[in-house]
Amino acid sequence: MEITELVGAVHHAAWLPWAVQYFFLIAISTTALLLALPGFVMGRETALPRARLALMTAVTTGITAPIALLADLHQPGRFWEFFAYTNASSWMAWGAWFVPAYVGLLVAFAWAVHRPAFHAWGNEDWRFAKLFRWLSLGGSANGFARPLGIAATIAAILVLTYTGAEVYVVRSRPLWNTPFLPWQFLATGFVGALGVMLVLERVLTRSAGLEAELNRRLALWLAVVGALGAAWFVVAVSGISPRHSEALASVAGFPVWHTMATWGALTVAVTFLIATLAPARSGWATGLLAIHAAWMFRWTVFMGGQAVPKVGSGLYDAMLPTGIEGLMGVIGTFGLWLFLVIAYTTFIPWLEAGIPAGGKPAAPARPANQH
Amino acid sequence: MNMNRRGFLGAVGRVSIGAAASVAGGAGAANAAKADHIPKWGMVVDLRKCIGCQACTVACIMENDVPEDAFRTHVSVYELVKDGQDPAMVMLPRLCNHCENPPCVPVCPVEATFKAESGEVLVDASRCVGCAYCVQACPYDARFINHETQTADKCTFCFHRTQAGLLPACVETCVGGARNFGDLNDPESAVSKLLAENEVSVLRPEMQTNPNVYYIGLEDVLSGRVAGEAAYRPAHTAESVAHAEGV
Ligand code: SF4
Ligand code: SF4
Repeated sequence: MEITELVGAVHHAAWLPWAVQYFFLIAISTTALLLALPGFVMGRETALPRARLALMTAVTTGITAPIALLADLHQPGRFWEFFAYTNASSWMAWGAWFVPAYVGLLVAFAWAVHRPAFHAWGNEDWRFAKLFRWLSLGGSANGFARPLGIAATIAAILVLTYTGAEVYVVRSRPLWNTPFLPWQFLATGFVGALGVMLVLERVLTRSAGLEAELNRRLALWLAVVGALGAAWFVVAVSGISPRHSEALASVAGFPVWHTMATWGALTVAVTFLIATLAPARSGWATGLLAIHAAWMFRWTVFMGGQAVPKVGSGLYDAMLPTGIEGLMGVIGTFGLWLFLVIAYTTFIPWLEAGIPAGGKPAAPARPANQH
Repeated sequence: MNMNRRGFLGAVGRVSIGAAASVAGGAGAANAAKADHIPKWGMVVDLRKCIGCQACTVACIMENDVPEDAFRTHVSVYELVKDGQDPAMVMLPRLCNHCENPPCVPVCPVEATFKAESGEVLVDASRCVGCAYCVQACPYDARFINHETQTADKCTFCFHRTQAGLLPACVETCVGGARNFGDLNDPESAVSKLLAENEVSVLRPEMQTNPNVYYIGLEDVLSGRVAGEAAYRPAHTAESVAHAEGV
């Protein structure tokens, strides 16, 4: 039977490019925090250079993300209602509690990690000494950094859980309603975080050793992303899960989706190859490609997903559903992030961040009876 | 209460005289008829009678001040060509199904969307934060963000009219008499009788939403996502882009 839709309604995307930015930035922030743990929470000296970049990435993206989220609300002035009328059956309502908790704990953790350096800079005789005395709150102790880091990690895991679940539970969109999605958000989050760290590393520290180490980790997470994508495809093609087959069928016939799928797969494969074959010389390329891959995954999921009609035929405008103004939202959030990175590198003694007091595991060189 | 068009209006005539005070006091005329009877509103669309005139689409827009780039209800029109047969035009009026098990309700983070006692799924626009989670969750594309109010919007079964004892605007105006509205809790209502006497189907039953909008004569191929070709998609105009952005 041939069917042609002669009269139908077009549904504009209700989650705007701001939402893509939010999911992109919050995934980068939470996974970057996890990458900062070996240095700043587990107290591994060798992991410190990576942890410094990871914490910078986590803080700057972590502050930008909720701003993008607020911009996606059509009534941003009513955000307080999330706290006044929490609906426990809604993952979004839980997210409203998790996100501020996460950002608050993350900023507190970063502050605690940098407190000794703030204090030291405050005691020097220079123009901004007063500012740093104020920033250090008059002390250098940071024994509480580790518990704060652990609390921030728990909050990060809650944020990762809710962002995955919030989209996964939407049964009306087969492309979203897959248990693969939360894991894909996590894995592409790591890819994005490592991409940002590689770019920051190239701009700020330029150490070939760190570049190679980050590239090796990136290759690992790209492999996970590739494996998850392949598993999704196999499940959808095999027909063992009608939901996945429906998801594939809903987009399989459209050339724009072929282009997006091929582009995504090629980006992951090429980045993986470069990161594996030339880990010490490719930070710029792999970093930018990784950021692109993580961002494009979310753009495809959210904007592409909303372009699939739930009852009507064909596709709605898939690639740029909100025109140039939508793109301005994307550019605006990147601009804010860049501003925060500049502020962070200017005002925070991030290169001096060391292992917080009490953060070193009991080392054999310092027997327990000497405490 | 009998709720086909003529029956509904007849009942209202009786009620509006006897219950004028209670209408002024805010109680619904329909409820006033029998104090303890709570109706459950539903619709039965007889597709054999729909001529695709879109009178309902226009009436809804006028009645509910629906903005330019959205619909609370409209009539999808399809051309079906069955093997070796002449093309057939098939109409499908679409609207919120006021689901018994509405997936749009549990996702709302601030409980702005809810199911009323008489079955309508409604949005409290004074509370809605415009997060559009409900828009995503509805399997029927029945919701949208109203870019004039910046809140979620959808068919209310014309709650303001049924509260006053009137039929929804789309039912009132339906030229072919395809849209039937009434009380599913009343076995004597026209809709209950239509359900009892006809084979009916609902849209996307696999979603387990238990719609309260039923169809007589619905082609199976149209009950889900219609796997057909879209003949015409207008390109985004500058105006529609501005509406879509909305922040
Ligand atoms: S049709 Fe959609 S908007 Fe209406 S009640 Fe069902 S899920 Fe909610
Ligand atoms: S858009 Fe409004 S009604 Fe819909 S889920 Fe968000 S707050 Fe609730």
